[in-house]
Amino acid sequence: MMKTRTGLMLIAPLALVLAGFFLVPVLMLLPTSFGEYLPGSGMTPGVWTLENYTRIVTDDYYLEVIWRTLGLGLFVTLACLVLGYPLAYLIARGPQSWRVPLILLVVFPMMLNLVVRSFGWIALLTNRGLVNNLLIDLGLISTPLKLMFNLTGLMIGLTHIYLPFMVLMLVAAIQNVPRDVESAAATLGSSRIHVFTSVTLPLSAPGILAGSILVFVLTISALVTPRMLGGPTYKVMATVIYDEYMQLLDWPSGSALSFTLTFMAIAVIWLSSRLTKRWAGMA
Amino acid sequence: MSALTFDRLGKAYGETDVVKDVSLTIGEGEFVSLLGPSGCGKTTILRMVAGLVEPSRGRILIGNDDVTSLPPNKRGLGLVFQSYALFPHLTVFENVAFGLRRRKVSGAELDKRVKEALAMVRLAAFGERYPRQLSGGQQQRVAIARALAPHPRVLLFDEPLSNLDAQLRDEMQIELKRLQRGLGITTLFVTHDQGEALSMSDRVGVMAKGVMQQFATPEDIYHRPATGFVASFIGKPNRLSGMIASRDGAGGTVKLGNSLVLPAAKLDQPAGARVDIVIRQEAIGLAAGEAGQGALPGTVALRSFSGARVQYVVKLADDVELVAEAPSSGPDAALPVGSPVALRLDPAAVFAMTPEGERA
Repeated sequence: MMKTRTGLMLIAPLALVLAGFFLVPVLMLLPTSFGEYLPGSGMTPGVWTLENYTRIVTDDYYLEVIWRTLGLGLFVTLACLVLGYPLAYLIARGPQSWRVPLILLVVFPMMLNLVVRSFGWIALLTNRGLVNNLLIDLGLISTPLKLMFNLTGLMIGLTHIYLPFMVLMLVAAIQNVPRDVESAAATLGSSRIHVFTSVTLPLSAPGILAGSILVFVLTISALVTPRMLGGPTYKVMATVIYDEYMQLLDWPSGSALSFTLTFMAIAVIWLSSRLTKRWAGMA
Repeated sequence: MSALTFDRLGKAYGETDVVKDVSLTIGEGEFVSLLGPSGCGKTTILRMVAGLVEPSRGRILIGNDDVTSLPPNKRGLGLVFQSYALFPHLTVFENVAFGLRRRKVSGAELDKRVKEALAMVRLAAFGERYPRQLSGGQQQRVAIARALAPHPRVLLFDEPLSNLDAQLRDEMQIELKRLQRGLGITTLFVTHDQGEALSMSDRVGVMAKGVMQQFATPEDIYHRPATGFVASFIGKPNRLSGMIASRDGAGGTVKLGNSLVLPAAKLDQPAGARVDIVIRQEAIGLAAGEAGQGALPGTVALRSFSGARVQYVVKLADDVELVAEAPSSGPDAALPVGSPVALRLDPAAVFAMTPEGERA
């Protein structure tokens, strides 16, 4: 067993960097979020207010953006799970010789710049993009489908970007399910489907949860893709925060939104880790 | 009536034959062990019986039913794994109930049969625990109860005791044998431990390199090994390289070193063949003092005490060394290194086998 002191020394370099360049700046924003902003003159020194926060939970626009962000996170997570699980299962349990090529294919998109990938989706999804042109040429539709500047566009883009994270987490989880335990269920009378639902799925649940948390948190805090595929009107929390800071120069309001987003992310992680513990307690 | 039959069963992975045309018949209620070193194909046979590995050739019959192409869930067998393979997310009760629920047993009947099975392995009070809350021995007993609960036609064991420590293993051997006799359930037991196979089985199949070397009672396997491999694998053998000196009927003589010639009752190789000579430690008679008529003179080179027995490394002519045993409470229990001893060898305990790496 490693000594506590050795452990502390091993994490010390990273802890110091994070404390100095991440934690302190974030905490410096905390007072800002209680400051008062006057358009044209900036923050008033010495005046404190809760208004930045109360506005977030009362203003219809902010509430809509929050629910949209949460909904987007949920949908993208579910889409990644549904698309990713069969692939992860194939990688974990399929022919040995397929494993490396498949994992490379999964990881490959991550080697491309995020902006390039999002532009790629714009080229595909705009009103005169490849997808709509193809569907119109095939005579399947007469007017272009609205695939951008809405939930559909963001879901497509973000699912594509975060799918690799989900798949890699699931592969590890499925590989950890002992084959003997699955064989035991089979000899006890389980069909292949029942082996999957009664053994493989519950035993890979910790990986499902871990992958879901990761994708959810990444999605609700994503900025670049929502800015590009959401356009100027379809906003999520990250893009609203960006606008408050960079365009409206309303730092107090931007800070308050940032802390709200952080709080939401932490709440989700906390809830899920409680769930995981309950499941992992049995698994 | 035969409970389990292999008909020229074979398995190849690519070019490699891991099981070569094994045929045998196991009777109703019989306890049969497959014994062999790792990689001999014994586990592959077990997994083919369970339906987890598809045979390349041959047939498997349970009773009179050909099950060769049935999936594992349609075979009605119980399988106990070396790794226990319990369902970690289910309680002990639910683990045992798993197979019964698949057979649509429910309600009071389910409750009764799970409790019966748990009582058989003396874990009646542990139903609400999770596997991780149990010791290794207890987990293995749950695995046995889980396999027994649905009343399988054949019970299969895949090295079930090798993860347990020595004392617990001995206890479990006796417990398992009692359970199997009590239920009269046909059992196929795979192990690399000769003690386990000899003590528990009605018949033992010794395997090497995918070939069934001998399928016989434990007594026959031990006293009348069919091949040099069986002789070298069972008991505590001395293994020395030598050659066949002469042949005479079924037996002849073998030569060790330059001049040491020993009679052997049963030999397969022709005179002049290079062989590995196998002589059981426990078949060598050892006495202190100079050798008389028909005995081999030697000196003690090393003594090691192992409880009930004492092992001596004895140096014979031409620096040939043999390990011999004496009871640790007898007169020959404390011979000092360098003292002269006389060895007597039973020709029936001297075997020859084709050396490793050459064609058997």
